[in-house]
Amino acid sequence: MVFPSIQFAIFFPIVLALSWALMKRQWAWKPFILAASYVFYSAANPLFCVLLAAVTLANQGAAKIIHRSSDERVRRGVATLAVALDLGTLGVFKYYGFFAQEINALLDDVGLGLPLPLAAIALPVGISFIVFQAISYTVDVYRRLIEPASTIDVALYLSFFPHLVAGPIVRAREFIPQLATPRDPSNVAVGAGISLIVIGLVKKVAIADYLARSVVDPVFGVPQQFHAPDVLLAAYGYAVQIFCDFSGYTDIAIGLALLMGFVFPQNFDRPYRSLSFREFWRRWHMTLSRFLRDFLYIPLGGNRGGKLKTARNLMITMVLGGLWHGAAWGFVLWGTIHGGALVIENVFRERLKWSPPAWLKWVLVFHIVVLAWIPFRAPDLSLAWAFVSRLGDWGPPTLWNFSVVGVIVLVIGLQLLPTKPMDALRVAFEGLHPLLLGASLAAVIVLTTATVSSEGVPPFIYFQF
Amino acid sequence: MPKKDQYILDRPTGRTLRARDGISAIAIAIVVLLIVEGHSIRNSGEQMGDGVQRTVVLAVGRPAGWIADRFGVDDDVHRLTASLSPDASLGTAGSFNASVAAGGAQAAGAVAPVTPDAFDPASLGAKPVVIPKLSTLLVTGDSLSQPMDVELARRLASKGVNTIRDPHLGTGISKSALVDWGRLSTQQVHKDKPNAIVFFLGANEGFPFKVAGGGSAACCGPAWAAQYATRARAMMNTYRQTGAARVYWLTLPFARDPARQKIDRAVNAAIYAAVAPYRAQVRIVDMTSVFTPGGRYRAAMPIGGRNTIVRMPDGIHLNEAGSALAAQIVIARMKADFASLQ
Repeated sequence: MVFPSIQFAIFFPIVLALSWALMKRQWAWKPFILAASYVFYSAANPLFCVLLAAVTLANQGAAKIIHRSSDERVRRGVATLAVALDLGTLGVFKYYGFFAQEINALLDDVGLGLPLPLAAIALPVGISFIVFQAISYTVDVYRRLIEPASTIDVALYLSFFPHLVAGPIVRAREFIPQLATPRDPSNVAVGAGISLIVIGLVKKVAIADYLARSVVDPVFGVPQQFHAPDVLLAAYGYAVQIFCDFSGYTDIAIGLALLMGFVFPQNFDRPYRSLSFREFWRRWHMTLSRFLRDFLYIPLGGNRGGKLKTARNLMITMVLGGLWHGAAWGFVLWGTIHGGALVIENVFRERLKWSPPAWLKWVLVFHIVVLAWIPFRAPDLSLAWAFVSRLGDWGPPTLWNFSVVGVIVLVIGLQLLPTKPMDALRVAFEGLHPLLLGASLAAVIVLTTATVSSEGVPPFIYFQF
Repeated sequence: MPKKDQYILDRPTGRTLRARDGISAIAIAIVVLLIVEGHSIRNSGEQMGDGVQRTVVLAVGRPAGWIADRFGVDDDVHRLTASLSPDASLGTAGSFNASVAAGGAQAAGAVAPVTPDAFDPASLGAKPVVIPKLSTLLVTGDSLSQPMDVELARRLASKGVNTIRDPHLGTGISKSALVDWGRLSTQQVHKDKPNAIVFFLGANEGFPFKVAGGGSAACCGPAWAAQYATRARAMMNTYRQTGAARVYWLTLPFARDPARQKIDRAVNAAIYAAVAPYRAQVRIVDMTSVFTPGGRYRAAMPIGGRNTIVRMPDGIHLNEAGSALAAQIVIARMKADFASLQ
């Protein structure tokens, strides 16, 4: 069930009203929201709910054993087993086909011909987000940062529908304490919630899908048919599309949670204004960045142990971060470009006495980010190369028009502007009377619906991850 | 001052309201949407496949449509926002509804004459008609035509072929409430003037047809197949452009689900029945025996000596490798018709 759909427009108001009606009776509220979240997830495929329940129970069992045991070897062993199970689940569903095919090809090439069985395995929606959150719970219990919660709280943490399928990656210690007491019905950020839903809808439906349809999909599909100006437009267009698609989803998720009385962490903070790659990763998919930092980079040694080890740890973290998006060499290359850029940036920061002007840093960082999106978006590396090689073939543009260029410039430009005017606008909107907030939401839904083709709203890009 | 724990989240600053204000705001939005979009909700429900979601959407959509009917403002709103729609206006020419209204049946006792177009010259041992250059190729259909369309475009780009990809996801010949393929095919030919058309559609079929006299034909008996074939034949006639273009109509590889296989079988039978008068220009490209030999579903098959997954996990669509194979087969067939590809 995607947020911008009729099914969700029926589902959410009912769940919202019943949620607040039951809020004071936590014994009824928790099973109700849990059931609602499973209904939401089952819309994709009811069988996925079995997997979600299994991940929940396995991690809860592990967390209980870890908490009860005082033997460090037992604690470590159970934590390792739980994380291995989580990653194994991810591996089977997400990477098995890719690796089986690659290994079979390799075995064939060396004449061994011992093929692994191939199967077209359905990827459960949001499996990466679910698994990461499960790991965060178990490891935080192991690290004694939190105590095990009740099973229903853990089940709610992993399945809460606003963040279930595409994040943000909410940490157990952020969410579970919010379940400890009923949400206060007299203190709900209604204006902020509705404004985020409105912004998210516009970003996803009116901007991301429009750019995908008009320029990105045609050019990335068959770059050979286009000359450099169109290819360049598609590269910038994809940078804007993926930002609006993913941050739009996150905005809606955070807004829905706010209406239900819950707070999620911020996931995007104008990433295309970054002057360094370190800054970019503090602004882009922030909840993934901190997950990778806390559960991969720091355990690998972080920046302790010298420059070489720091560089190694950065590269490993970014390459695995790329691979997290899916089993494809394009994601590996994307992670490698970002890892390499972070390493080079660290070297320059230490060795260069001269600091380039801000505009030059922005130009460099922005364009390397745009360049890295090309293998990320292209269906395979050969097409990524075909795309890049078209940049040398100048010819007449066919896809440039005022609205496409205008949207790209607007989205990037708004990130470069000072935040005060936008914040003032947002605060003014949030201050509207509830009736006007509702009418505004309806107006935006009607207008964005008008921009949707008869085929409906395409899925969010991050649903596939 | 101690450093703040980053994992304790603060509510956004700014005004907060009561929960009932939030519910009121959402309720207002719903009321406005029921008045303005009631018809769309009802139509969407009617176009969904059978299942719980359809039942729920229709349970809301039917009263919503009734409410919208009472207010009658939806047409005005849609007129005002029409310029935002990415869908091209299809006009009325070629509509399936027109053919149903006209009866679509042969007058009793009359026999349609068989024309030379009913014969592929090659099948009679005659010299095939070869068109010198393939300049514009239209690849269209539903989600089945993807990603085969990009595969075709990539492979033919070096031959100077302008490939127009025009997939219409979620549509079907038996599902004309969403897109009337009779009108769409007419508009595609009028707009793009392709000299070859590759058509691959069938993932959303199985909806009942309205038949002349007000009845309906449910899938997948002879009456349904006859209606499907009639519509497919009309489209084939449109696409072949009185013989100037070549049409490559792909049959359906069977889906994994036995219920869907029943639909696939009826669609394939209808395609073979539909092509009879136009074999000179319309080629049926057999995907059924390539991907599902003997009518048996398989997720993987040998390609180039290697066992390769060719179907998507949904058990319906072809994946990248399967689409690449389909594109290869289509191009091989096109080579016989176009000198520039040989």
